[in-house]
Amino acid sequence: MSDVVLVFGYALLTALATGLGALPFAFVRQVSARAITWSNAIAAGLMLGASFGLVSEGSTHGRLETLGGALAGVVFILLTQRVLGDHDDAELSFGAIQGAGARKMLLMLVVMTVHSFSEGVAVGVSFGGGISLATAITIAIAVHNVPEGVAISAVMRPQGVSVLRCAGWSVFSSLPQPLMAVPAFLFVDAFRPALPWGLGFAAGAMVFMVLVELLPEAFHDGRRGSVASLTTLMLVAMVLFQRALH
Amino acid sequence: MAGTEPILQVFFWSLAAAFAAGLGGLPQAVVGRLPQRLLGWGNALAAGLMLGVAYALLDRGLGDALLMGGLGALVGMISVEATHRLTGTEELDLNRLGELDSAYGYQVVVVTALHSAYEGVAIGTAMLLSVPFGISMTAVLAVHNVPEAMLLTAVLRARRVAVSHVATLAVAAKLSQVLLAVAVFALGASRVEALPLLVGFSAGALLQLLLEELLPEAYRQAGSTGIALVTLVAMGMVVALGGLA
Repeated sequence: MSDVVLVFGYALLTALATGLGALPFAFVRQVSARAITWSNAIAAGLMLGASFGLVSEGSTHGRLETLGGALAGVVFILLTQRVLGDHDDAELSFGAIQGAGARKMLLMLVVMTVHSFSEGVAVGVSFGGGISLATAITIAIAVHNVPEGVAISAVMRPQGVSVLRCAGWSVFSSLPQPLMAVPAFLFVDAFRPALPWGLGFAAGAMVFMVLVELLPEAFHDGRRGSVASLTTLMLVAMVLFQRALH
Repeated sequence: MAGTEPILQVFFWSLAAAFAAGLGGLPQAVVGRLPQRLLGWGNALAAGLMLGVAYALLDRGLGDALLMGGLGALVGMISVEATHRLTGTEELDLNRLGELDSAYGYQVVVVTALHSAYEGVAIGTAMLLSVPFGISMTAVLAVHNVPEAMLLTAVLRARRVAVSHVATLAVAAKLSQVLLAVAVFALGASRVEALPLLVGFSAGALLQLLLEELLPEAYRQAGSTGIALVTLVAMGMVVALGGLA
């Protein structure tokens, strides 16, 4: 029983770490058009890099299952977009923000929250390998969550959401991690076959979100060269960062 | 060609990839003038395949030399940016079909030649990692060359350049790929410690190219949902292929 509490506690810590991603945005006062472009490019690079890691990890469990999961992730986002309505839908509101901005924030939150489910399963399954490694894995996942919080805050902060709320939503997006980690830990054998599907799903959803929302907007407002450079830098940094934690 | 010397394999395969560009005129020869949306999907296809190659290189080639890889990626990215600025092509619209402009034709050819030079580095690097992996990545870039040449064809045909001239030019502009692939392979074979640097350089350059040249163009030619789907499917195919080699 104490093991279950430990797994839950550790996974909860990793969720809280996501909130730290809002910190850099405490220093951004003015939200200019340029800041929005850069934020989009930063979020795009971080999410693409994270997806590279997910696909790589998923492929070690099953390449075709990972790709199947990615396809399901894309379909899921398409359906979510359908539910949230068209770009210019002024009816939609999220807190004080309305229309296209609210739609994008909601989509971002859905994508990042859903992707945490499969990460939670990954945590639980790897804990199943032996609780002695738990601390190391927890620290790795917690640190890995920080840039994901940056990605979420990069989308929310330019819409005028306060830093504290950015942190709150970042933590929220990671809450599925502790919730999924426990059952995955308890029933490792049942969950393990689902892992490549889940990781692929998360990757497909994130890459699609980047390609359909973040990059078009960044290119619309910013110079191509700068957007490309920032995205490339963030992508490679995220890949190296995740590798270093592994 | 299993028994052939590796460096000859690099030569033959990269040459074949360059010649694939000659096929870029086919869609237009069959359909006539291509709709904008199709050009956009061509750009997205080319971008997705490149994204897949960048993923495969980073996944396979970095090993533990993370800092070297990161340094390589930084140099690759900056190098692409620098060549764009030096040639005055950083905001070049590659698919202008309309008005004539004397500098425009030269810029398009320069961009194509530089673009394929970086792909040559990627081919050489992939071949260094393993020849079967290199061949599969070269095949991907060969396929990628077709929609790229399709766009070049659309631009040049709109300027009433003859089909045979366009096909030859498309291949000629890609020949830098062969030179760089062979040179990088020879260099890397004698200096194994440079491999992570080359992997990083290739990935950084490919990412910068697809993000700066292909995707922005694609988004203007077709809706972002279609572009995202084509890009993702293309990337997925490279990931699937990576399991075979």
